Amino acid sequence: MKKLAVFSLTFLLVLLALTAGPRLFPQQEIVLTIREGVPAISLALPPFSYEASSTQAREAADTIHQVLADDLRYSRVFSLVPREHLNYIRPLNPREIFFKDWESIQTRILVVGEISQSQNRIIFEVKVYDVKSERMILGKRYQAEPDVYRLVAHRVADELMKLYGEKPFFTSKIVFVSNRDGNDELYMMDYDGANQTRLTFNKWRDYMPAWSPDQRAIAFTSYRAGNPDLYILYPYEGKLVPVSTRGTNFSGAFSPDGKKLAFCSTRDGNSEIYVANADGSNVRRITFNSAIDTAPSWSPTGREIAFTSDRTGTPQIYIMDAEGGNVRKVSFGGNYLDAPAWSPDGERIAFVSRVDNFFDLYILNLKTNKITKLTETSARNESPSWSPDGRHIIFSSNLSGSIQIYSIDYDASNLRCLTSQGENKLANWTN
Amino acid sequence: MKKFLVLFLTVILVLSFAASCKKKAKEVPPPPPPQAQEQPRVEKVEEPVLKEPVLTEEEIFMRKTLEEINQEKPLAMIHFDYDKYNIRPDAVPVLEANASWLKKHPTVKILIEGHCDERGTEEYNLSLGEKRAKSTMEYLTSLGISADRIRIISYGKSQPLDPGHDETAWAKNRRAQFLIIEK
Repeated sequence: MKKLAVFSLTFLLVLLALTAGPRLFPQQEIVLTIREGVPAISLALPPFSYEASSTQAREAADTIHQVLADDLRYSRVFSLVPREHLNYIRPLNPREIFFKDWESIQTRILVVGEISQSQNRIIFEVKVYDVKSERMILGKRYQAEPDVYRLVAHRVADELMKLYGEKPFFTSKIVFVSNRDGNDELYMMDYDGANQTRLTFNKWRDYMPAWSPDQRAIAFTSYRAGNPDLYILYPYEGKLVPVSTRGTNFSGAFSPDGKKLAFCSTRDGNSEIYVANADGSNVRRITFNSAIDTAPSWSPTGREIAFTSDRTGTPQIYIMDAEGGNVRKVSFGGNYLDAPAWSPDGERIAFVSRVDNFFDLYILNLKTNKITKLTETSARNESPSWSPDGRHIIFSSNLSGSIQIYSIDYDASNLRCLTSQGENKLANWTN
Repeated sequence: MKKFLVLFLTVILVLSFAASCKKKAKEVPPPPPPQAQEQPRVEKVEEPVLKEPVLTEEEIFMRKTLEEINQEKPLAMIHFDYDKYNIRPDAVPVLEANASWLKKHPTVKILIEGHCDERGTEEYNLSLGEKRAKSTMEYLTSLGISADRIRIISYGKSQPLDPGHDETAWAKNRRAQFLIIEK
């Protein structure tokens, strides 16, 4: 009996500890989920050593270490060995590494960084060791000026992802719409919300951007010519190409191989889905239905397209072949579903469902045909877009009052807000 | 004789009075010279008033800028039901009035803007806004307004009329409104 009391007390304390932690929003459900697939790889990231005489090297060491640690924590691929565990072993000497020490604190991967200064630049040398085999598995040297320290860290994080066969995304960009400068314009930012950069400069609405897979081109809708037209912007070439300029043109989506561009247009009188070449040429219509057909999203193979249609009376999610044939409804159980986003692994489709004037994100698993709820808020959560590796979803939400862009993991953990200036929405990361 | 004397005296008296009067008049000093500080007469400067002939309604209309005309809102907006784009019965008289105004001003071209409330998704609302603009246009053409006088545009939910988050605001925001773009 006493044992049971102790047990339940401990249980209660654990529960309290779990609930007392910092919670962003009172409505947010606590979701305790065991991580998908293999357990995370235990990685030790001791502080980088640097030239003691150089303040620039010290600043670089601090920044790069901090950003890299944040990247790896976000990855869900690696788990960081807690900093205090490093006190149990001999201090790191990059010239003579005692691998047994690191093994004793459950380290599988050891990342060692050294920074020196050369004129006004820093040289960052990073070595990655497999602790068990006591072998260096990756070595890199970077030269950088202070404005790209964050990028250096993201490059290292990407190398670590590639090392374990994961899709790297830390150097990728999120494109989105912000009204911070007066009207809706396109912006882009790092995955973590840093380096927010304006891309369009005019007094008309620029809207619904979508990256090409290589992130060299952005399809988007602009009212700049007095009509919602579809354009492709090449931000690194300063080039803008109109694609479709009759009717309302929107919801651009590049195919995963980057060769085609699907979009929605009313150019023939009704909201239909079209596919063009990636440069906007050779436009072909692929839906023929008097209902609203919109929001195309490619499967990762490029052979199918998910889309929204209200052909049965309310907006629902459908899948068709990329040529328009073999249309079938895949959603069920809701009466207002939209904005499908096909996951990079091809197994899941994230979408928005409206229930009682709230919008929440759901994930349909195409293999099990089960739908799980991703967000649980009294808010409008919209426009989901997957991270390139499929472990994270970005979306826009008004849960803080104004519309901002958030990131959440596939298992509903790790909700974080990426923007704060003005209102920010329609974020696109992939597809 | 006595009578004659009286008359004579009277004549003398009158004459002498007249003489004295003459003398006195000579003694009146000349009027003072005009004072230097006297204000000049105020002259009112005015253009002559043009009296125009009475303008016809059309002439009054043609004199106004597009902006002035749009500010007067000669074409009333119509509203829609939640998630719907069909013309409601209460919108019919509004559209009929708009059609007869358009018939009275046959050179006018208009833009119909379709708008939605915030309870739709960005993607779907852009289509829904277009459907609302289109069904409005189709109703006007059924009333005899030529389709090439009408352009349509969808703004989705991006331009709410009422920034509120309740049914009153939503009902106001689900609308088709008219902009005169040519006259």
